Amino acid sequence: MKLTHKLHRVNLPKLCIGLLLVTAVFSCQKELHFDKEPEKDHNIILKFKPVASYDSVPLVLGKTYTNNFKEQYTPTGFKFYVHNFVLANTDSGKTFKLDNDKYYLVDFSDSTTTEIKLSVAPYVYNRLYFTIGVDSARNVSGAQTDALDPANGMFWTWNTGYIMAKLEGTSPKSSTGRFEYHIGGFSGADNVIKQVELLFPYPFSLDMQPGKESQMFVTCDANKWFFNPWDIKIADKPVIAEPGLDATHVAENYKNMFTLDSVYNEQ
Amino acid sequence: MLFLGCLLVNACNKKSGGDNSGPHPLTLPQPAGFPAPQYSFTGNPLTQEGVELGRKLFYDGRLSKDGNFPCASCHQQFAAFATYDHPLSHGFDNQFTFRNAPGLFNMAWNKEMHWDGGITNIEVQPLAPLTAPNEMAESISNVISKLQQDDTYKKMFTAAFGSDTINSQRLLFAITQFVTSLVSANSKYDKVKQGLASFSLTEQNGYTLFQAKCTSCHPEPLFTDHSFRNVGLPLDPFIKDVGRMRITNNRTDSLKFKVPSLRNVALTFPYEHDGRFASITSVLDFYSSDVQTGPTLDPLLKNKIPLTNAEKFYLLEFLKTLTDSTFLNDARFAQP
Repeated sequence: MKLTHKLHRVNLPKLCIGLLLVTAVFSCQKELHFDKEPEKDHNIILKFKPVASYDSVPLVLGKTYTNNFKEQYTPTGFKFYVHNFVLANTDSGKTFKLDNDKYYLVDFSDSTTTEIKLSVAPYVYNRLYFTIGVDSARNVSGAQTDALDPANGMFWTWNTGYIMAKLEGTSPKSSTGRFEYHIGGFSGADNVIKQVELLFPYPFSLDMQPGKESQMFVTCDANKWFFNPWDIKIADKPVIAEPGLDATHVAENYKNMFTLDSVYNEQ
Repeated sequence: MLFLGCLLVNACNKKSGGDNSGPHPLTLPQPAGFPAPQYSFTGNPLTQEGVELGRKLFYDGRLSKDGNFPCASCHQQFAAFATYDHPLSHGFDNQFTFRNAPGLFNMAWNKEMHWDGGITNIEVQPLAPLTAPNEMAESISNVISKLQQDDTYKKMFTAAFGSDTINSQRLLFAITQFVTSLVSANSKYDKVKQGLASFSLTEQNGYTLFQAKCTSCHPEPLFTDHSFRNVGLPLDPFIKDVGRMRITNNRTDSLKFKVPSLRNVALTFPYEHDGRFASITSVLDFYSSDVQTGPTLDPLLKNKIPLTNAEKFYLLEFLKTLTDSTFLNDARFAQP
């Protein structure tokens, strides 16, 4: 009696979903062991930290730093888009790409944006890849929401496209007292979309276990925007704010600004 | 399949639970001879409630910093949604706009917005005038928070989009719906094409001339090929507007501007990207005798377009048949 009562209360659609999932699992994984629980994801918390000059000097907006050309600058804004996270093991050749290609705007004036949580398949990984920028299709697909909401101030209103990365502030080396690098451009030679490859710190590979969490600290070095492979001197170019050759140079510089500084891997 | 079926059952149950019938779909008119529209309405289907909301936004000064500059301040219905009799329009703090405000009609068929084609998706076009310091001078987030304080808007956003969330995407979707609903295809020319009217002798002479001399850039029925061309206008020494090159950074695009539609042309004066010509005849005089040569001059204008005074008169008479007076007086497009 009790059992039938219970059965009546079963939500039919939910039952269908359940049944179907079971069938799907059955059909896909023939070697499935019934006594084993399905593996849980491993959670990664990526923490972006602004620095000036490698990992030695934490960067604080509104404070003054010195670039490779001994130019003083005081950043007031430092933000960029990241997406397309991939973890890999270069020895086995296995990669894990997140299904949901969500865009994140890392904005160092807003601490809620500097941590990104990723759920990945447990494995031993030794590389983290991501894209800095906004893919070409997303630049021209109209009004969008969340990180890509134009209200975030990262969208050019007069020349359709996203500002993919921004570093701006004041500097005595600029004739106007201000410097402004608004870097974007998605088509042809103007394309500034860059892939970033990060090596893991010692011991170079990490066993990311199911149900566990690891914290990865990624430093973002503002000084790298000005130097290597291209010389960007504030005195010469205080403003780069439209797609073009200068923007591509800055992007080639800043794609090297990231370092996977440290990792805490829960075992 | 079963899974999908379950989802569908779930979705249906939810719907029948409430009595919200949702927004009422509208179909974009497809005038005879028009190609398929450029704007796909994917993700933003045209609805009665969406268009109505877009209209309210279009006429609302709160979209500007000081409340004085709704979209409609530069886009007036009686001027086919151009600024009547102004080479450049007025914006925030007594400033001029950078270029002549174009008429707004048949925008769903437009590939790129602005004289330089800088905007590639109509949905994001309103961001340009809204944030330009010499136009509406407002920020997107300020506009959103102003609208969020208005209960009428909450109701209208709910009616159009199913919940009272007011964000930039919905704002832009609604304005896009209103602006794309501005279809103009009921001029005397259209009636002649449909066999409902006939040209006078002078209009017919003008039409014949138009087809011979103008349609390579202004092809029927949209009266533009949406291309960018340098028609040989000398550079204005104050504005120094290089046109398309501002977007492409390509020297070969210097001084090129988008070919405008000639529909409703009698009402969209003054003409050209900077409104330098006050009348159609002065434009015809220019093409006939003043075209300046230069490295990017359109090859079609190498020899100008020589016209006799009689030919100019006929062309003018024909161009007047492109005025769509039902569009100019359509109550659906007027201030709500």
